[in-house]
Amino acid sequence: MLESNSVQFFVPKMNGGADMATAVIMPRQGNTVESCVVSKWHKKKGDKVNIGDILFTYETDKATFDEEAKIEGVLLETYFEEGDDVPCLFNMCVIGEPGEDISSFTPDGANQVKEETEKPKEEIKEEVKAQTNTLSAQVSGAEDVKISPRAKALAEKTNVDVSYANATGPNGRVIERDIQLLAKEGLKVTPAAKTSYDQTASYNPTGIGGRVTEDDVKRGNFIETGAPVETKAVAATDYTEEKLSNIRKLIAKTMHSSISEMAQLTMNATFDATSIMNFRAMVKANSERLGLANITINDIVIYAVAKTLLAHKDLNAHFNGESIKRFNTVNMGVAIDTPRGLMVPTVFNSDRKSLNDISAEVKDLAGRCKSGNISPDLLTGGTFTITNLGNLGVESFTPVINPPQTAILGVCGLVTRIKEENGQIKPYQAMGLSLTIDHRVVDGAPAARFLKDLCTNLENFEIMLAK
Amino acid sequence: MKYDLIIIGGGPAGYLAAERAAAKHMSVLLFEKRNLGGVCLNEGCVPSKALLYSAKIYDYTKHSEQYGVKVTSSSLDQETVIKRKNKVVKTLVTGVKGALKKHNVTVVEKTARIEKKSGEGFVISADNELYTGDRLLICSGSEPIMPPIPGLLEGYQKGFVLTNREILDLTKIPETLVIVGGGVIGLEMASYFNSAGSKVTVVEMLDKIGGPIDDEIAELLRKEYEKKGITFNLGCKVTSFTEKSVIFEKDGKTFETGAEKVLVSIGRKPSTKDLGLENIGVEKDKRGAIITDSMGRTNVAEVYAAGDVNGVSMLAHTAYREAEVCINNITGKKDIMRYSAIPSVIYTNPEVASVGETEATAKQKNMNFESVTLSMKFSGRYVAENEGGNGICKVLRDKSTNRLIGVSLIGNYASELIYGAAMMIETQLTVDDLKELVFPHPTVCEIIREALFAF
Repeated sequence: MLESNSVQFFVPKMNGGADMATAVIMPRQGNTVESCVVSKWHKKKGDKVNIGDILFTYETDKATFDEEAKIEGVLLETYFEEGDDVPCLFNMCVIGEPGEDISSFTPDGANQVKEETEKPKEEIKEEVKAQTNTLSAQVSGAEDVKISPRAKALAEKTNVDVSYANATGPNGRVIERDIQLLAKEGLKVTPAAKTSYDQTASYNPTGIGGRVTEDDVKRGNFIETGAPVETKAVAATDYTEEKLSNIRKLIAKTMHSSISEMAQLTMNATFDATSIMNFRAMVKANSERLGLANITINDIVIYAVAKTLLAHKDLNAHFNGESIKRFNTVNMGVAIDTPRGLMVPTVFNSDRKSLNDISAEVKDLAGRCKSGNISPDLLTGGTFTITNLGNLGVESFTPVINPPQTAILGVCGLVTRIKEENGQIKPYQAMGLSLTIDHRVVDGAPAARFLKDLCTNLENFEIMLAK
Repeated sequence: MKYDLIIIGGGPAGYLAAERAAAKHMSVLLFEKRNLGGVCLNEGCVPSKALLYSAKIYDYTKHSEQYGVKVTSSSLDQETVIKRKNKVVKTLVTGVKGALKKHNVTVVEKTARIEKKSGEGFVISADNELYTGDRLLICSGSEPIMPPIPGLLEGYQKGFVLTNREILDLTKIPETLVIVGGGVIGLEMASYFNSAGSKVTVVEMLDKIGGPIDDEIAELLRKEYEKKGITFNLGCKVTSFTEKSVIFEKDGKTFETGAEKVLVSIGRKPSTKDLGLENIGVEKDKRGAIITDSMGRTNVAEVYAAGDVNGVSMLAHTAYREAEVCINNITGKKDIMRYSAIPSVIYTNPEVASVGETEATAKQKNMNFESVTLSMKFSGRYVAENEGGNGICKVLRDKSTNRLIGVSLIGNYASELIYGAAMMIETQLTVDDLKELVFPHPTVCEIIREALFAF
C-alpha cells in the first residue's frame, strides 16, 4: 500500500529550473572597480535558490550591493568566503541541479582557499598522525600558533587573540572559521567570574570548556606568554573600539593627504539671501502646478555655483602637483552626510542643467548614497565640491578640498543682519559662504573675485536665471 | 610496528585513554599486568558495591518491621554474595575488553618495563619482547600502603591480615574483624561486615573517620555505626600484630583487640616501582608519585601520566578525566585538569557524598564564605523512606562571588545526586542562577534547592 501510494509523491523536474549549471560572477560595479569584498553570504552551499533571492552582499570602497539570483536551482558551490576580496568577473558561485559537473567553474584564486578546508578523507588519517607529532612538539616547546594566512588576516581585522582559537584545520592549523567562531563567541567566562571580569584584560582560561574562572580572574591579566602581570586599574575605562569601515578608511586617507599636501586657504563672505529665499518661496508655492521638484536653498547654490564657475576655471580644475587641468564643464561634487560617513556623488555637467534637473538629481544621488547602493562611477569625476552645514547652524567653517580638485565651497546658515538702504536701517537674512582654495595654484584675489561674482549672482538670482 | 601511543596500565585511566586515543585515529598499545579494569573494576569500587548492595537488602529485611513489613527469617549467604560479585566484575571487564577491541587497541596482558628512549621512540619490554611508541602514558595505578609494623607482613602471608584485594573474596564471614584505617575503604568494609554479622572494630590514627569529609558528617556517620555495633578506636596508633590480635596505643596506653581477620586500609601509594621510569628520567615525588602538570605532562617530553599514579586524587572518576586531559593535549586540544569539583562518595548505609570545599578546607584557604546546614528531613522523600533518619546537608557559598563552593551530605541517594552539585561548582553558576533550576519532586536532591534558598 505504502509503496503504491508513494508514487503520488514523486516530484517531476520543475519547469523553469536551470537547464545546466550556471556561474554567478562578482559584478563589476563601475569601470574603476577592480575587486569587491564579499560582506555576507545569504545562501549557503546546498540551499535552494529562487529568482530574486539575494545570494550575497558585496562592497566596494564606497558602497555595498546585493547580488540577486537570476535563475533558480540549487547553490551547488561557493568559491569565496565572507571577507574575501574577489576580483570582478570571477565566479562567485554556481547554481544548477544537484549532481551536475561544476568542476569547470572553479576560479583560479579559489583553489587555494578550498584546499584548506576540504581534504580527501583518506588523507585525514595520515594527517592526524602527523598532527599528533607536531602538536605535542608544540605543547612541549614552541608556543607558536599554526595559522593560515587568511585566518591571520581575519584575526587582525577582528582583533581577536589567536591563542584562544580552537584549531580545527589540518595539522592543527587555525583556519578562518576558527577565528570567526572566536570573534563571534569571544572568551567564555563563568557566571561567578563575570563579577570581576575585565573585558580589556586577557586571561589564561582554565575552566570548563575553556572558560575564564574566578581563579583565573584573581590570578589576573595574562600576557601572551602566560606570565602574570599586574592588572591596571585604568584598564576599566569604559569605551568601545571599532575597526574602521572601508568608507571611513578612505575618508581618513583622502582628508589627511588633502590637508598635508595642499596649501589650503579659506575665505568667508556673506550675501543677502532675500532674493533666493523669495525665489524658493515662489517655487515652493507653485511647485505642484509647475511640476517642479522641491527646490532647496542648497540646490539654488549649486545651480549658481555651476553657472558662475566657468568664468573662474582655476577653481574648476584638478591639480596633480605638476600641471593644472581646467575643465570646461562643471561636474559638481555634492557632499552628502550618510550613516556610513561622508559621500560625495557627482552631478555631471551641472552647468548645462536646469535648476529643476539639478534639484531632482541631487535628491536621487543623496537617496542612493544613504541606502548604500550608489554606483562607484557616480562617486568620482567631480571638478568642484559643495558642502552644506547651513542647516546645522554653522556660520562659517573650513571645508577641506577633495583632491585633486582645487577648491571647495562651504554653504553656511542664515543669520539676520542689518544694512543701510536709502538712509534706512533694514534687517535682512544673510547667508555665509566659506571658500577653500589650493593656494598652490589659485591665488587669493582670483578666488575672492569668484566669491564676489557668486554672491552677486545669488543676490540677484532671478536676473541670473534670465541670463 | 611503532605505536602512536603506549599506555602502561589498563585501569580506569588506561583503558579510557586507550579508547579516546584510538577514537582519534591513533594506534594504541595497552599493557596490563593483572586484570583489565584495574583495581576499580576487579578489587575496588565495583566489587565492593556488589557486596554492599547485598548487605543493604539484608539490612532491609532486618529493619523492615517499622515500615510494616514482617520478615520472619532472613540470612546472608556469603558464598552466593561473592559469586554474584564475581559475575558483576566479569560482565564489566568483558565490557572493557569489548570496547578496546572495538577501537582496535592492541592489548598485551603482560608486565611492561620502560627500557629507554631511542631515536625511534620509547622502547618498552614485556616478556623479552620489545615494543616502540612515539609517546607514553603511564597509568600504573596504586597499591595499598603496608607500613613496616611488626607482624604485619607475616600476618599478610598467613592470610590473617588482608588488603582490599583479599577481603573481597572472603567466602566466610569472620566472627571478629579489625579494620586498621577508617577511610573510605575501611568504612565501606566495616559497613558490609557489620551487616553480614562480624563484630567489627575500627582503629584509626586520626581523631575522626572518613578522611577529608566534613567533621559534623563524619561524627554523624560514626554515631550511626556505633549504634549498629561497630567499635571505633580513634586517635590510635597500631604498634604490632600478633597471630590473632592487633595491638595499638592511645594516649600512651596500650590496647589489644582480638581478631579473626584484619583489614589494613590505611591508604594507597602510587605504583611506580619496577616500571623503568628511571631509564628515561621521569621525575617522582617522595611518595613515588609521578609529578605531572595540569595538562598531564611529566618532566619528560611525550611522557604523560594519569590516574592514581600521579598521587593527586586517587579516585577512578578523577582518573577518567585525567586520562581525557592527557589524550586531548596529545592530540592538540588544549585541556586542563581541574580538581576543584571532584565528587567523593562513601557507599555506607547511609551514604556520604561531598564535592568541593568543606568548612575546614574553606577556612584553611581563608575563603570569604558562609554555610547552611539543613536536616535531610526537609526532603519529603527522605522522610518517607528513612524511619528515624537524621542526615544533614551542608552547602557552602562564596560570599564575594555568590557561587557554591562546597556541598556535603549524609543520606541515601547522596551518591547519585552529588554530580548535580559538582556541576554547579564546576560551572561557577551563581546562587541566583541556581535558584532558577527546577528539581524533580519529591526527591532527596531537593535538599540542595532548599539549601540554596536558605542563603
